[in-house]
This record gives sequence, C-alpha cells and structure tokens, in this order.
Amino acid sequence: MNLLQQVINGLVMGHAYALVAIGWTLLLGVARLVNFGHGQMYMLGAFVTWWAFAKAGMPYWMAVPAAMLTGALLGLLMQRIMLKATFEQNLVSIMIMTLGFGYVLHGVAALVFGSTGQVLDTPWSQIDFEYGALWLTAQDVAIIVAAIIVFIGLSWLLNATRYGRLVRMVAEDPKLSQLAGINVRRIYFGVFAFEGAAVAFAAGMVAPRTPILTSMGFDEVIMTFVVVVLGGIGSVRGSYIAGVGLGIFTSLFAALVAPAYTTAAAFVLLIAVLVLRPKGLGIGSGGGAH
Amino acid sequence: MFALKGSATRLVGMAVLMILVFFGPRLLGGGGAIYAAFVLIAIFAVMAYGLDIVVSDLGEVSLAHTVFFAVGGYATALLATSAKMNAWGTLFCTIVIAMLFALVIALITLRLREFVFSLVTYAVAVVAMTVAANWSFLGGSDGVRGIPVLDLSFAGLSLKASNDRELWPYAFTLIVLAIYLIDRFRASRLGAAAIMTHLNPRLATMSGIDPARVRLQVFVFSAPISAVAGWLYAYQRAYVSADLLDSYFLLLMLTSVVLVGKRQLFGPLLACALILTQEKFFSFGGYTDKIVLGGALVLTLAFFPRGLMSVVASARERLAVKQKN
Repeated sequence: MNLLQQVINGLVMGHAYALVAIGWTLLLGVARLVNFGHGQMYMLGAFVTWWAFAKAGMPYWMAVPAAMLTGALLGLLMQRIMLKATFEQNLVSIMIMTLGFGYVLHGVAALVFGSTGQVLDTPWSQIDFEYGALWLTAQDVAIIVAAIIVFIGLSWLLNATRYGRLVRMVAEDPKLSQLAGINVRRIYFGVFAFEGAAVAFAAGMVAPRTPILTSMGFDEVIMTFVVVVLGGIGSVRGSYIAGVGLGIFTSLFAALVAPAYTTAAAFVLLIAVLVLRPKGLGIGSGGGAH
Repeated sequence: MFALKGSATRLVGMAVLMILVFFGPRLLGGGGAIYAAFVLIAIFAVMAYGLDIVVSDLGEVSLAHTVFFAVGGYATALLATSAKMNAWGTLFCTIVIAMLFALVIALITLRLREFVFSLVTYAVAVVAMTVAANWSFLGGSDGVRGIPVLDLSFAGLSLKASNDRELWPYAFTLIVLAIYLIDRFRASRLGAAAIMTHLNPRLATMSGIDPARVRLQVFVFSAPISAVAGWLYAYQRAYVSADLLDSYFLLLMLTSVVLVGKRQLFGPLLACALILTQEKFFSFGGYTDKIVLGGALVLTLAFFPRGLMSVVASARERLAVKQKN
C-alpha cells in the first residue's frame, strides 16, 4: 500500500465531501433547516448529468449546468411546498417531509432512468496524471479545483456582497430581518435553489468516480452531516476543512482497516465529537452563515 | 356517572371494533392474500406504534426505529436457527436486546435535540444497514434463512402457525396488546411527563420532571414495541436480511404516525391499513408506490399538518355550526 497515494485519494474524497456538503451548510446556517432528501438530490443530479451527457449528447461542460438547473428547480419546488413549515420553523415536519421527498425522488429516478447502474464516463476521467507510483485523473483535479473555487466564491458572496449581508441577517434573526424590510421568503427560496444546484453540481463532478445507482444517497447524507457538524453548523470555512479532514480519515481507514465500514467509522467519529463537544469542533465559529 | 357511562361506551365501542377487525379477513372472503395483508398490516402497525410515542408524545423524530425492528428480526432468526430457541425464548430475548440497544442509543443521544438527534439516529440506521449487509455473523447480504414456524405451544396446548391464516390470531393479539400499551402509556405519569417535556421542557423541570430521564425512559419503552413486530415478521417471512433496514420501513412508520394524526390511538393502525391496502390490492408497481407513499407523507404534512383527522374534525365543526344556525 502506498500511503502517499492514500493521502492523495483522501484529499480528492475530502474535497468531494466538502463540495457535496456546501448546499447543506448554507441551508442549515441560514434557514436552520435540514434536508434528508439531500442524498437523493445528489443521486438525481448524477443521473441528470449522465442522461444529458450520455443520452442527450450534450458536452460534459453543459450537462453539469443542466443538472444544476434541475436541482435548483427541485429546490424551489420543495421550498414552495414546505414554505409554511419553514416560516413556522416546524423542524419535525420539515425533517419528515424532506425524507418523503427523498423517497419520491428515488421512485421517480428509478422510473425515468431505470434501476440498473450507470457509469458517468466523462472525458476528464480518461486523462491520467502519473508520477512514479502516484496516480490521479483530471476529474480528481477538477473536483479539488471546483471545491476550492466554490468555497472561495461562497465565502466572498456571504461576506463581501449585499446579498450575502441579507442572507447573514436572515440567518441571525429572520423575524427582525422581515421587520427591517428584507424579503425573507425570497432569501429562503434562494437558499433552497442554491442547495439544489450545489448538490447537483457536486454530483456532476463527483459521480464519475463511482458507478451511479438510483438507490444511492444514504452515505452522502451521513458524510454531509459529519462534515457540517465537525465544521461547526453554518460555517463555510469550517465545512471545507472538515470535509478535507474527513476525506483523509476515511481514505486511510479504508486502506488500513476495512473499506466496507468507512461510513460506520465516520459515524463513530461523529458520535465521539458530539459526545465530547455537542456543538461540533467549531472549526468555524458555528451558528449562522459565515 | 357520566364519566363512567362514557368510559363504558368507549370500551364497548372498542370491543366491537376489535371483534370486527378479528373477523375482518373472513368477512372479506378469507383468501390467502387477504390474510397476508391483515397480518402485515398488524405487524407494521405494531412497528409504527413504537415510533408513535417518540414522535407524537416526546416530539422527537427518531429514525432509528427501523433498527429496533431489525433487531427483533435478527435476534429471532439467529436464536431460532443457531440456538434452536423456541418462540417464547426469542420473544423474551427480542425485548431484552431491543431495550439494551435503545439504552445505548438513548445514552449517546441524551443531550441531542431536534435535527441533530434525528440525524444521529438516521446515521445509526445507515450504519446498522452497512453492518447487517457485511457482517457474516448476521448472514451478510444473504441474511438468515430457515427460520422455523411460529410455535408458542405450552402445557400441552398446541399454538403453531405455519401460514398467514394461522398467524393472524397472533398478529391480532400483538396489535391489541400494542394499542393497549400505548393507551396505558398515555394515561400514565410517564406519558404525561413526556408530553410536558415535549411542550415545555422548562416547565417540566420546574415541576420536578427530569426531561433527560423521561426521554431515556420513553425511548427504551418504545424500542421493544417495534422490535416485537420484527420478531413476528421474522416468523412470517421465515428469513431476515438487511432489507429490514430499508428506508421503506422508515417511511412506512413515519407516514403511519402522521397520516391520520399524531396521538390518535388508532392512527398508526388505520394509516397502515390504508397504505398496505393500496400496495397489496391497488399497486401501481414498486417505484410508483414509492412515489405514492413519499407523496402521501409530504402532502399530508404540507396541507394537513395535524393529519387527516383534522379534516374530519373541521368538517364536524362546520356541520355543528350549520345545525346550530
């Protein structure tokens, strides 16, 4: 076993985890909402990218935005249906509804795309970079670059733009923000659309690494949750660091202990953190979007 | 006097309902498919009642109750096949093991609330599925096969059930027991403490209730209810596998809890009957049924957050106002 190769795999996986989690980070930070259908939205994003690329003949660079558009529209639809519960901050209903959405998405995807596995064989997957025993594809490099750009972009958006200031205000106090004239409803819609588009983008980038199945999505939710909690709820910077750290941890665990139990290992790590520090590691300061 | 009369009427009403349910399969023609549907409705309703008190009374969404259901199934399968234990023994062990599992999960999640609690319990379910599908002790992806027929015979009395028709009286007894337990729970001090902890934890603390202790007790009380459903399901199917942890069971449980309305004594049973009737007799195919089940869950909560009973209640109110005028 090449340890350095495992660290490189871990870095790629880590950026993938962080990228998949970014939508949830903002969703939780701003709207105090969780989305249990996140994994199925990832699955749908992967299948739409595959369909657009392999079936509709779109180039890969266009297939990913097509999936993002689908994800954004789905996010808007979900938020429209859950709007009342969102304003009431009825977390119990929202959690159950998003689980229901996930189940519906699974059924729809299986009907539309079939239940057989597919491979999203992008042009970048076929470009290899080799250095001695070390190996990496252009798709892996693209995942790392994309994750870094998305995280820098989101940090800039939240901290240096008017829209970001409005989002942070709503995250701080939605009722007071409404009194101050902010259209909170629009912010919630925007955040849900971002969540849908972001997870679809992540799927389009990350899914070429593994076969895609309509039954997937559960592991993605767990990993996303681990990233969000470890990074400090709502912290963009924290999620990035937590994602990369988790990627290296799972990669080394899979290589040194047992690949079948990486999700279980990530969960044990999460439990340890929650028992010792219920508010997460606080890599970011936690609470609110930043 | 009036209270006594009301209570007697309720008792008679429930007895009549139960008799009708018991003879339901025969009244509907007595076919094999009818008996199978009734048995499954009873088993899945019992499974849902376990979750019902956590969601409806404690106000937390546990996503780990499929684990208790699976614990019941796997404990039964392993003990009945490897240790050749009889059904009374597997029932006892199912209850004990489920309570131990629940105790561990409850202790881990004691300080967690709302979505963090739900996510951790969800993670428990996903990890349990990974373990069940990969651990050879649990049969790996093949599961455990060759579970003998249910045999509760004792003292010379033969109580065997080798098919759904013979299994129905036991499934019926189980659902009656579950409903009785939930009813007694809601009338108990623990039930009252759970509701108080749910609605106002600070007030509960002021009145001498320890919310953490109540959460732990309710969680541990609820687990064996779902697990016993797994116990009977293992005998009904004669095998168990990691599919006991499939998201289908989670969605079925949640929909059963919210569809008719939370804290409705017969809610999970009625909801299970509706869902299973659609799936068994009016199925549109597996994937479309998923859309129907998930859609029912989403739409109920979006448009009738207090369940379908709220529609009936508001219709009644409107009728009463009309009659008054």
